[in-house]
Amino acid sequence: MITFEGASKLYPDGTVAVDDLDLTVETGQTTVFVGPSGSGKTTSLRMVNRMVEPTGGSVLIDGQDVRRRDPAALRRSIGYVIQQAGLFPHRTVRDNIATVPLLLGWGRARARARAAELMELVGLEPSQARRYPHQLSGGQQQRVGVARALAADPPILLMDEPFSAVDPVVRAGLQDELLRLQEELHKTIVFVTHDIDEAVRLGDRIAVFRPGGRLAQYDSPERLLAAPRDAFVESFVGYDRGVRRLSFFPARELSLREDVVFGDDTGAGAATASMRGEPWALVVTGDRVPLGWVGAGQLARVPADTALGSLDLAPYGHTFAVDTDSLRAALDAAVLSPAGRAVGVDADGRVVGVVSQDDLGTALWSVTE
Amino acid sequence: MITETWDWIARVAEWGAANWSHPGDPDRGVLPRLAEHMRLSYLSILIGLALALPLGLACVRWKRLYPPVLTGVNVLYAVPSIALFFLMLPYTGFSDWTAVVPLALYTLVILLPNVVDGLRQVPDHVRQAAVAMGFGPLRRLVYVETPVAVPVIIAGLRVASVATISMVSVASLVGLGGLGRLILSDGFRRQFDAPIVIGIVLTVLLAFVTDAVLVIARRLLTPWARGSGGGGGLPRRRRRAAVPAGAGAAAGPEAADAERARHPAQTGTTAKERRPWTS
Amino acid sequence: MDILTDLLAWFADPAQWTGDTGIPARVGEHVHYSLLGLLLSAAVAVPLGLLTGHTGVGGFLTTSLANFARALPTIGVLFLIVLAAGIGLVPVLCALVALAVPPILVNTHEGVRGVEPRLRDAALGMGMRGHQVLLRLELPVAVPLILIGMRTAAVQVVATATIAAYVGVGGLGRYIVDGQARQDLTMMLGGSALVVLLAVLTTLLFAGLRRLLVAPGLRAGAVA
Repeated sequence: MITFEGASKLYPDGTVAVDDLDLTVETGQTTVFVGPSGSGKTTSLRMVNRMVEPTGGSVLIDGQDVRRRDPAALRRSIGYVIQQAGLFPHRTVRDNIATVPLLLGWGRARARARAAELMELVGLEPSQARRYPHQLSGGQQQRVGVARALAADPPILLMDEPFSAVDPVVRAGLQDELLRLQEELHKTIVFVTHDIDEAVRLGDRIAVFRPGGRLAQYDSPERLLAAPRDAFVESFVGYDRGVRRLSFFPARELSLREDVVFGDDTGAGAATASMRGEPWALVVTGDRVPLGWVGAGQLARVPADTALGSLDLAPYGHTFAVDTDSLRAALDAAVLSPAGRAVGVDADGRVVGVVSQDDLGTALWSVTE
Repeated sequence: MITETWDWIARVAEWGAANWSHPGDPDRGVLPRLAEHMRLSYLSILIGLALALPLGLACVRWKRLYPPVLTGVNVLYAVPSIALFFLMLPYTGFSDWTAVVPLALYTLVILLPNVVDGLRQVPDHVRQAAVAMGFGPLRRLVYVETPVAVPVIIAGLRVASVATISMVSVASLVGLGGLGRLILSDGFRRQFDAPIVIGIVLTVLLAFVTDAVLVIARRLLTPWARGSGGGGGLPRRRRRAAVPAGAGAAAGPEAADAERARHPAQTGTTAKERRPWTS
Repeated sequence: MDILTDLLAWFADPAQWTGDTGIPARVGEHVHYSLLGLLLSAAVAVPLGLLTGHTGVGGFLTTSLANFARALPTIGVLFLIVLAAGIGLVPVLCALVALAVPPILVNTHEGVRGVEPRLRDAALGMGMRGHQVLLRLELPVAVPLILIGMRTAAVQVVATATIAAYVGVGGLGRYIVDGQARQDLTMMLGGSALVVLLAVLTTLLFAGLRRLLVAPGLRAGAVA
């Protein structure tokens, strides 16, 4: 557990980088420090491993003031990941990862074995071990950076905008990796970013910093989106936070209707009878793989014994996974579907059911409480 | 100790003043040597520049030309000047050319990469804009590329001038003029220290004055760069390079190359500024 | 063409290759002085440069020193020292070292300074102490630039050692000096040609050293 008690940083030229920070970072959780440039988030992070010394207040790790510890020894027990990795260009990937273990006195063989373990953990091919940093892509370099930070198995991981320098696609992949890693390792992570979406995605708790180094709000992502404390936080969080908040509510509680789902061999007349006035029907294969939508009007115009599968179907659009997706995904699927209704599928892509507009509406409005 | 040093300095200065020039004999004295030195240095530098500009242009225009030319130039760079002076003797005798040709070549060696890189330094979008506005190749060269290249070229000139001014002294061993004659004939051969010291001091002074003139020239020619100051140049474009970016005084052509490759946007002090040594 | 044939004959003459004034002997002397001068200069300049680079102190001083030293005329320095200290190997070595230290010093300093601050930050953040940052990060990364400084110094030393023949020591410069005294053009040219050869070989040697000593990760103008 990391505790900031009235931590402040005042520079000789008068700049206040951090102003009286009181905050507790819970063990085993990912806490994100987010805010615009100059809000003190990075400075606060660097107080934890004494790269920056506070001019006021203190920082405690598990109750012990960090100033009581030798800086180098302290830092060897904390993982530190920075933007663009900061890999040593003159060492191979393997030796880069092994840096801290070697500093700690592990034998070369043991350090390299550990490096190999970590490469696998962060998703790097073993063949990359003897390569040099400049031969790797940005995303790969960042993975090495993370592996290097984890090498000595530190309980705390400090990450300073580690994914900001890579392109969005790679960044999303790295974020996924981090979430996966955290599920396995349960480190205490302090993550700095200026991107609120990244913060919402990765954080168990989010600390929003305002310019001038003051803490604006410290909350779970969902509460942050639901109830920003003031105008600054609200504008920082972004304009569509209502819709984005929906991603915190699971879709699995939506009721799914099967009465408008028909196999492709069903006859038009039988379908129309079963639909009982519903404007759209979803046509699926025998394996319940979705094929498309057919309108009631269209059904009325064809002979009653026409198989649904033979008709011109409107594309089914987007689907949402019933077990893992959120209300936001369901809303998205509904909006993208020509029928205006979301199609719910299981993990294998088989249709489970369709969400009626009423049901979706009810679920969405219930969130506003 | 201090008084001894003071006395010594005074003695040297006196000799310098006394032998500054000899009214009866225009060829004797410190001043004629200085004049010779300036003549040989500046002639070499100007010829070297005159060679470097077209050659550099050609290397920019025909990219394939550059690597072999650069290698050739680098090899030349390694050769001690004294050897070159002596090798010139059979062909040019005791004329000025024995010194000027090798020195001009050294200047060429130093300047060529600067000319090429200076011209290449124009950011691509600027060049595209010029093309889009209808600038033909010659116009582009004159109005866009050369002005951008000027600071880099002058940086190279500064290095070349210091090196050349220093090297002219070596030519005295072949029998040519310049302050080296002072050092050799009046000084060493007569076991007399004052001429040597005067020779050293004047050489260094000449080098610094020339350097200052070039800095002023650069300020005048590149009014747009004034804001960033002469010493710092433009902020280095951040590249993901971890290899040392600041090359020191002795960086040879390769280092200067590597340095320029990493910081193409620098128009102020470049590696070339603090460059080569040859005797 | 006459000159060329004379020159070739001079090289071909077996007498040239034996004895105290033979080519091997002279080359040996020259290499001896140069190597000694270079190693001494490096022994002084590299640690000093590492120190000033790592601490950041003395940067202005080193650049000023370098600029000043670059303008110094070689013969001036050489002759002055010999005049003051007499003829012999030691004064010559002093002159060699005086002229060779600045390039190595400045390059070492710049090499260390040039390490990206980000890397230093990462190194400190990992828990390296000052001296470890210097030895495990800054020095290896500075090696390419140090080598370049040493190569320049080496060429400088070879050249100055040539001139040193004028103050009475051996080496290839003797062919030039003696040739001048005897008005023997062939000898002068032969000596000059040999000096050129030695200088080029030195450059090649350093190119090879670079290949050997610089980590592959740094060679490609690397990025991290």
